[in-house]
Amino acid sequence: MKRRVELGLLYSRSGSYALLSNACRDGALAAIAATNADPQTDISFVPVERDPAGNIDLYGPLCEQILRETSARHVIGCITSWSRKEVIPTLEKAGGTLWYATPYEGFEASDHVVYMHACPNQHLLPLLDWAFPRFGRRAYLTGSNYIWGWEINRLARETVTAVGGTVLGERYLPIGSLDVDRMIEEIRVTRPNFILNSLIGPSQYRFLAAYHALGQNDPHFRPETCPILSCNLTECELPAIGEAAEGLIAAGPYFHGMSQWSGPRNFGNSFEAAAYFAVCELARLLAGRASSEAESLAALLGTADQTCSIDPQTHHRTLPVLIAQVQGGVFRVQERRADAPGDPYLTRGQRPIVASPPVLKVVS
Amino acid sequence: MKRRIRIQNLGDARALILHRSHLTVQNLTRQLTAIGLSVTSVWPDPGADVLAADFVFFDADMGHDGQFPWAPGDSPMPMIALIGSEAPGRIEWALGVGAHAQILKPVGDSGVYSALLIARDAFDARRALSAEITDLRSRLDDRQTVVRAVTLLAARGQGEAEAYAQLRQMAMSWRISFEAAAKRIVARYADGEGKDGRRDRG
Repeated sequence: MKRRVELGLLYSRSGSYALLSNACRDGALAAIAATNADPQTDISFVPVERDPAGNIDLYGPLCEQILRETSARHVIGCITSWSRKEVIPTLEKAGGTLWYATPYEGFEASDHVVYMHACPNQHLLPLLDWAFPRFGRRAYLTGSNYIWGWEINRLARETVTAVGGTVLGERYLPIGSLDVDRMIEEIRVTRPNFILNSLIGPSQYRFLAAYHALGQNDPHFRPETCPILSCNLTECELPAIGEAAEGLIAAGPYFHGMSQWSGPRNFGNSFEAAAYFAVCELARLLAGRASSEAESLAALLGTADQTCSIDPQTHHRTLPVLIAQVQGGVFRVQERRADAPGDPYLTRGQRPIVASPPVLKVVS
Repeated sequence: MKRRIRIQNLGDARALILHRSHLTVQNLTRQLTAIGLSVTSVWPDPGADVLAADFVFFDADMGHDGQFPWAPGDSPMPMIALIGSEAPGRIEWALGVGAHAQILKPVGDSGVYSALLIARDAFDARRALSAEITDLRSRLDDRQTVVRAVTLLAARGQGEAEAYAQLRQMAMSWRISFEAAAKRIVARYADGEGKDGRRDRG
């Protein structure tokens, strides 16, 4: 006999990052269908959907609506860090939990959030470590003007500087802005070894197209000598990028066709996979105990057995670390590193703390 | 200049919470453990363990003088006040104890990470300032020695400016501070001129 458990879904189905939202939503809905069809579990999820349509000010109120008007205590949702931070106070008040299936910039471990996708020790740091010996240490940093870009670039700057490299430029665009000419011009003039791209949505697509055009005129700006690196680019955005996608490099826990994380199941991209596993993990935590859906996340994790993949201290999880490049229109894995536990505050020692290079003064 | 904070080295740091058993302690402990620190909590007497802590969180509501084994304001680690009642007397006491940062009670889901970084930065800044002040003080105290040394050198037949330059040269070639060089000069010429001094010491 199955019991009905309402489950919140909070994804923007339109707006500048709708492709990512829809990838996550597809994964969550597929997992809900799989759970409901599974005779081994007593859980039957009933999705309760709200759509903020890319409007940052709707996340808090719509999350509150889910928690107040329905019995759902768990919400799968949010793409941007900005929206995640908007809903945390609401979750705290209502004792709810957000299952967050997007890569993010770290430095958070809320008691009300499960972080299913990668944080910097699982994407940015291995990506830079891989790129330095191959391309060099002269970097240009770009990003959309909000916390994801700011923090990724801050960490990148710290890392590049620590190994004696140079940051040639760091520039941001407001979310949705298409004004990429200045960035492209600065890149053309400074001739970096690689570009770290933390732009999102249409800004990113316009930037990638303009950079691709630059590479047509000057062979330095091609993937072999000056590639673009991302920590959040997946297959779900390739159709929007078109031929400019060729040669892009990304780090992530999963790429289409890899089996390490997903087992026999195949996903379109890592967003879909992370949302899928979020629902499955929740179903496992709730199964077999009546009214467990009313318990807090801390209480649920307290009852979890060894098979639970979520670290009870940080609410992050161990993930594969893959570095892949778009070749012939699909991501091909270039390197697979050891699986890494999420280390949101970079305090758990997998990160080599590189000493600053000595500061030499000219003595006259 | 842009101020850069140190984000490293919080891993394996030890935090001591000086607060009676309470939800506040539980929530603080959760946040600290998630960040990567090890945590002990104790009330009301911290014992000698407090000296081994890298950060101390203390209750500003029930705390009292004599809980810490150091002079007020002279803690060997950053101190973070846990403030419930924002009464001026309690805030004054927390400042007197030497709080480098504060967190308001009730402690919920966040606030600890920024308090750690702000407290450590304030602690480092305060410590660097007081080292600088100590150094400046001792140089002030040595002013008279410098004047005597310059006078002694000038008395050997050169102008004051030349004597001053000579003393600077000596300090550089001996690789010691200006004030230390002045001390040496004073000791040497005082010996040379006043045989009494030497006899006294001998």
